[in-house]
Amino acid sequence: MAATNYDVLIIGSGASGGMAAYTLTKKGIRCLMLDAGPAIDFQKNHVTKPAWELPYRGLGNPSRLPHVIQATEYDANQWVDEKQVPYTHDPSSPFNWVRVRYVGGKSLFWSRMSFRLSDYEFKAKDHDGFGDNWPISLTDLAPYYDQVEPIFRVRGRKEGLKQLPDGNFIEDTTSWSPAVQKFIGEASKRNIPITKVRSSLGRGQLASSLNLLLPDALATGNLTIIPDAVVRDITVDKNTGRVTGANFLDRHSGREMHAKAKVVVLGASCLESTRILLNSGIANSSGVLGHYLHDQFYVTQCVQAVIPEVRDKTAPAGYASGGGYIPRFRNLQTKEKDFLRGYAFDFTAGSTPDAKFFPLYGKPLDDALEAHRGTGFSGTCMGSVLPTFENHVRINKDLADAWGIPVLHIQARYGSNEFNMAKDAINTMAELCRACGWEVLARHDQPLPPGYSIHEVGTCRMGDNPKTSVLNKWNQSWDIKNLFVVDGSSFVTAGSQNPTMTILSLSMRASEYLAEQMRKNEL
Amino acid sequence: MRRRRFIQALAAAQAAPALLAQRPPTQQPAQPAPPPAAPEAPESAPLDFSIPDEGADPVSKFFSARQFATLKRLCDLLIPAAPGSPGALEARVPEFMDFLIGDAPVQRQQLWLSGLDGLEYQSQIRFRKAFADTDAGQADTLLAPLHQPWSFEPPNDPVARVLAAAKQDVRTATYNSFERNMAASGGKRPRGGGGLYWLAVE
Repeated sequence: MAATNYDVLIIGSGASGGMAAYTLTKKGIRCLMLDAGPAIDFQKNHVTKPAWELPYRGLGNPSRLPHVIQATEYDANQWVDEKQVPYTHDPSSPFNWVRVRYVGGKSLFWSRMSFRLSDYEFKAKDHDGFGDNWPISLTDLAPYYDQVEPIFRVRGRKEGLKQLPDGNFIEDTTSWSPAVQKFIGEASKRNIPITKVRSSLGRGQLASSLNLLLPDALATGNLTIIPDAVVRDITVDKNTGRVTGANFLDRHSGREMHAKAKVVVLGASCLESTRILLNSGIANSSGVLGHYLHDQFYVTQCVQAVIPEVRDKTAPAGYASGGGYIPRFRNLQTKEKDFLRGYAFDFTAGSTPDAKFFPLYGKPLDDALEAHRGTGFSGTCMGSVLPTFENHVRINKDLADAWGIPVLHIQARYGSNEFNMAKDAINTMAELCRACGWEVLARHDQPLPPGYSIHEVGTCRMGDNPKTSVLNKWNQSWDIKNLFVVDGSSFVTAGSQNPTMTILSLSMRASEYLAEQMRKNEL
Repeated sequence: MRRRRFIQALAAAQAAPALLAQRPPTQQPAQPAPPPAAPEAPESAPLDFSIPDEGADPVSKFFSARQFATLKRLCDLLIPAAPGSPGALEARVPEFMDFLIGDAPVQRQQLWLSGLDGLEYQSQIRFRKAFADTDAGQADTLLAPLHQPWSFEPPNDPVARVLAAAKQDVRTATYNSFERNMAASGGKRPRGGGGLYWLAVE
């Protein structure tokens, strides 16, 4: 049987690839989807296990995932094996590349934080003069956010904040605990806004491409999914310069195959899509493919405070509970001296501070932990990273993965803008806690290594100028008309908001454009 | 993959509880009951498996005898036993740490080796005795770094660094031990609880 010649080949099945399939197949376009990982049954692949049954007592295999510092022994199997798919970086510039290879991709495991970007990001250069604007504005993307949010069932509270645009939300009607109300009161005195975390509720246990996008796409009869297909490169017709499909290897056997299609849509995640393009030697007449890598820097547990009313048991039960989100408030109407752009926080109240924060051991430590049960308040800072040409990825020809595909070398480091921003963030959070009368048990302003946020973006950025960008405003390659890249690699700036809603919306928008171009026979 | 199979795989586990809930509590026979079937052989009971710690002793092989003695004393100081609550020694945490660090990258191994050696050296200098033989007051003097406020950057001194790491790891290894959980279950083999474990997919 000869293979079908599909209309569109989609590489990757996570948020961006899944949304491309969802959008294109509904318009009658026949799609073939390849994913490097296996198909899974999310229910069957979990079991409940007590920690004492784990071989490493919950501490995890100490050699297994050196870059995935958020991995636990419980979830170690969900991350990409770094020995199977390695990458390199300078030892002095670590980059934590955190990957998932399953049908559904990272959308199986994401934190579900669901925000829109604002024109402070889309038109960042207009605002502060640094870098480049996106070729689109919030007005262009808002109709797609409007459609994506109901699919993922985003819950949030409308606040009318220009820097954190409202969405098509399921209204969050939950109340604030008294401790958080106190915190909000101190924040409002300083013009610092606080809202509820905006989060995708999804359906059942998942808010994923696997359960929200792919079933509908398959229901059209227009989608074929091939799991375990590790794409090596995209093929090009030398006569026309157009892409013709992709070469891939079966994950188990290494058998090499070629998939044909009229159009190729890359949605393999920011750095995997970039790696495929670099290994294919295409779409880089600008010379910026692989450059402008950025993410959001994270300072986790930047401030750990104790709420004394809870410790002294003078507060009623439930006094400290719940959490919230502080959107960017710096460099909006005023201008900071030491840094451009801004940061956000999420915070929680009512936890028990970790043992490491108490300068004790033995029984005194146990006693202190018991006394501080439920007294904790802690925040994590998520800061905007300036996109720079110097932060980039390139192919390391000296090292290949388990399928013989050359790996990435990643070169990224944070600069003074990020470090100054982190200092300001932590000073601000500590000041707010003290103003509440809370005791600051510990604080630090050191960002985790780049990549930790799993929000890497920017290496195939879009733009108005083919000399300085890889993609046009429709996520379409400037060089090759029938090639689209719909994942986070297309970002120009990331802001401090989690990127998934924007990735989904961009993919939907690009796919609608692609479908219309195909209908008009203009691709 | 065909859509039907895909949907079935997704829906099956989610639908099962709902289907069970819809089942009527008793079946009302529409026809006379059939003659009773011949009794089937009873199904075998679910097999009950154990873990190595329940039925065997660990073999320590990474640390030297002196380092291991230092580690044992440190573990006992960090998580002492309490009535009804096994400490790190009863939870065989020194033996577990010997395995864990023996399985770790060389850099982490070196840190632990030099940290334990350093602790022993300081004990010999200060008190002319092995750390394993120190009394509580002497040991507390040597564990002074644990009375310092927490900082994000780990200390440069290998002793201080190992003490900070041990404080966290020994605690986790004790609380997650079979022995500690068995004690919490009133001496019975602990059952249930725990977290969601993601199985390897192949």
